[in-house]
Amino acid sequence: MKAKYSMIENGAETSRIKKFFQKDFSQLIIFAVPMLFIAVFLLYPMAITLLRAFWAPAENNYRFTGWSLEGFRTFFTTKLYLRALGNSVIVSLSVTFLCILIGVPMGYCVARVKIPGRKLLLSLGILPIIMPSFVGAYTWVILLGNNGIVRTALNWILSPLGIKIPSIYGMFGMILCMTLTYYPFVFQMAYGAFSGANALLEESAMLMGASKARIMRTITLPLIIPSLGASALLVFVRAIGNFGIPAVIGGNNYVLPTIIKFAYEGSGDINFASSIAVLNVIITGFVLYLQKFIVSKREYETISSSHTDVKLHESFGARLIAIIICLIVLVFSLLPQVTIIVMSFFKRWTGILPTGFTWNNYADIFKKSSHELFNSFFLSITATLMCAIFGSILAYITERKRPKGAALLDLSIMAPFILPGTVVSIALLSAFGGNGIMKLTGTYAILIISYMIRRTPYVYRSVVANLTQLNPSLEEASTISGATWFYTFRRVSVPLILPSIISGSVMTLTTLLQELSTTVLLYSARTKTIPIQIFSAVNENNLGRASALSTVLLVIVFIIIYTMNTRKSTDISSSMKM
Amino acid sequence: MSKNVRYENVNKIFGLGTKNEVHALKDISFTIEEGELFCLLGPSGCGKTTLLRNTAGLDTITSGKMYYGDVDISTIPPYKRNIGMVFQSYALYPHMSIFENVAYGLRVRKVPNDIVTRKVTEVMELVGLQEELKRNPSPTALSGGQQQRVAIARALVYDPDVLLLDEPLANLDAKLRRYMRAEIRRIQKATNITTIFVTHDQEEAMAVGDRLAVLRKGIVEQIGTSDELYNRPKNAFVANFIGKMNFFNSHVQSSGPKETVVEIDTTGIRFVIKSEKRHVEPKAGDAVLVGGRPEYLSVSAEKKEDSIPGKVRIIQHLGSFIRYEVEIDRNISPVTLEIDMDSMQPGIHEGDDIFVTFDHDRVALFSPEGREL
Repeated sequence: MKAKYSMIENGAETSRIKKFFQKDFSQLIIFAVPMLFIAVFLLYPMAITLLRAFWAPAENNYRFTGWSLEGFRTFFTTKLYLRALGNSVIVSLSVTFLCILIGVPMGYCVARVKIPGRKLLLSLGILPIIMPSFVGAYTWVILLGNNGIVRTALNWILSPLGIKIPSIYGMFGMILCMTLTYYPFVFQMAYGAFSGANALLEESAMLMGASKARIMRTITLPLIIPSLGASALLVFVRAIGNFGIPAVIGGNNYVLPTIIKFAYEGSGDINFASSIAVLNVIITGFVLYLQKFIVSKREYETISSSHTDVKLHESFGARLIAIIICLIVLVFSLLPQVTIIVMSFFKRWTGILPTGFTWNNYADIFKKSSHELFNSFFLSITATLMCAIFGSILAYITERKRPKGAALLDLSIMAPFILPGTVVSIALLSAFGGNGIMKLTGTYAILIISYMIRRTPYVYRSVVANLTQLNPSLEEASTISGATWFYTFRRVSVPLILPSIISGSVMTLTTLLQELSTTVLLYSARTKTIPIQIFSAVNENNLGRASALSTVLLVIVFIIIYTMNTRKSTDISSSMKM
Repeated sequence: MSKNVRYENVNKIFGLGTKNEVHALKDISFTIEEGELFCLLGPSGCGKTTLLRNTAGLDTITSGKMYYGDVDISTIPPYKRNIGMVFQSYALYPHMSIFENVAYGLRVRKVPNDIVTRKVTEVMELVGLQEELKRNPSPTALSGGQQQRVAIARALVYDPDVLLLDEPLANLDAKLRRYMRAEIRRIQKATNITTIFVTHDQEEAMAVGDRLAVLRKGIVEQIGTSDELYNRPKNAFVANFIGKMNFFNSHVQSSGPKETVVEIDTTGIRFVIKSEKRHVEPKAGDAVLVGGRPEYLSVSAEKKEDSIPGKVRIIQHLGSFIRYEVEIDRNISPVTLEIDMDSMQPGIHEGDDIFVTFDHDRVALFSPEGREL
């Protein structure tokens, strides 16, 4: 009871100025930096892009000469562009549909059927989204090429039906590759929804006399619609923004991300590229709205207080079917990774089996890729650290401080999550390219900024999810004990949200190491990364070299994920949700 | 040093200037004495937690003044108020050992290590956790009652001027809750720190508090000791919230300087009530409410003098007493009466017609709206 500890002694009448300086400004300063970053590197480029889309064509694209709809007119009167738009919509919609078709039954099988190795199935089931997707694309060229091993096998199986596998180049290949890459989003969320569902709801329906089919139709499926909608949107957004797969196996079937690069690099016309970017955003926005519209009517609060675990199907038939479904999907989606590793030890793979065993592909990495390796690591790690800091601070602001316009802040942070990487690149180029005040083209900075803009949502979402679970009274208790805001933030908030910061950062780091769609428009000779090098190797048909580099990426990414999974029981799925 | 807590015309309005304005605290003025264990009691939404959070500084009041001792703390941020608080959820830090949890407030104050160890040991002995401190596990490994004690220790260790307890017993089971009531009272008396205890449970408040304030819709209805609130409730709300009271529609027959005669409507049953100090002296012919606690009413199978006929709806055996729920003429009392008897009344079953009689000396008088007379 010493007076020493009591901090209020003579707080009777202090002047306003004195009060102003007594105020705790650490909070304000810490919050201001990420907000400023968002304003300068996200909102400003977005606004500029929107304006440029309506600029009249001019000699110098960076000079404003007047308004016009020329960009859009060109787009809608040129067959090439219209076909790209059509292709994008067809590919994205088919991929979304197919992912649901594969992911939901598989999620149900793993969640509700008693099969061995469910944990392993879950971990293997997440691999395709963690692995570089465009790398998988060219392996399908090997496997499904004219003499490819899988094509030969499938044609033999399907020949009695009179079906032949279409060419891997083009729409079929793009849809196949993207489906096998993105189905895990639906699978993981369906698994979560099916296993997390309250069994009491289904049991009570059964006691009221409902048949199994009826329970499925009226209880089980309707309850997973919200999470299904969220994952479907995620797949659509990824599919429409994917650059690597169409670039590798699209052939002359352009889609929006490839046509943006084509248009920008062909003519250097940033204003026309902006017009396409704006169209791309409109489509994504429309789908987002559609999804919210469908799902909003079906959001349910859990109203029960008690919760029991779901009962698993145990019959032999159900287990056999479940295992077969899971195995087929897993084999097909993991085949590319296996192919890459095999291919990396050979010179050629044009027939059924690879030929010309060699170590040279790996030896070459040390000779020709050390700078690219450095770049990849330097850029990814720097951006990840910044994302971790900014993402957690921003999450803390929106979730705990709830300032006026928190919803708007949330929206602007999350916007890049659904925007195609090429659109973000175009936005940065139109704001910081040419002869503007800040010329960043070709620098490391522009790549780090683009990575931060695109990946901050990962950490942000992960931390927000964690904070909503965290009772605010933990922080209040610290304040009451006499701690200032910063002390509380450092000693209580950060340690408690650390698992979500780590899981968000791991997602960020692993996806940045394989980033292609943003980098491909922003890199220079100096800032080339490994994915860019793989991409060029594929284009030069140097598959051995591409595979060796990809294998290195695979191993690194796998080690990171594996370490995190064994060290912490962190859940990386929350950083993938909207 | 323990300090008194004084509220002067405290108002709290949530969403000021918006459509959903909520006036949560209305002109609260009262004083909590030094070293007192004071209970804030009321139904949910009455403003008791709001008042506590504003006392802590976790919310800021819209107008009025709050004092700890002589210091106006209305605008002082919570971390400078030197208070201790125990949250309903305990809010123990899962990432720290129980020692570090308890030491937290001392670490904030940059107290030297040796003093931290001494103070933590002392306070853990006070709350009866010296054995657990030796093992020093994470607080998540403790039982609910032990977590509660750690939370109290953490709030006490830096000798706060005021200790705030926000429904601290709500998460404990019934038996432990009764035990911890006594423990909290023991610990508070040992430290003599001015303590504010928020609860919605009247039994708990009466058992724990030196004095109680009953709140309703942001207004303090009555402040007093448990005995005062129970035996001299100021209005029908307090009477019915602190324990239970049955009300009968009545009219004043005659009113004199020494006594008032009241008759229960349509029955001819008359009471003579001594005139104490009243704000309003009822006049002959005025409508009033006569209130009687369940234990001052009785049921019998046969008609007695001054009894009201009724029908037993439900009989509940509640251990030390038997509760009869009795329906009488709707004009006399529109709600079911609760009558507590020491033992089962032979020959009375659910559905029987019975008679209700009163203890004439133990009835209370209110205005027809339930206000104080």
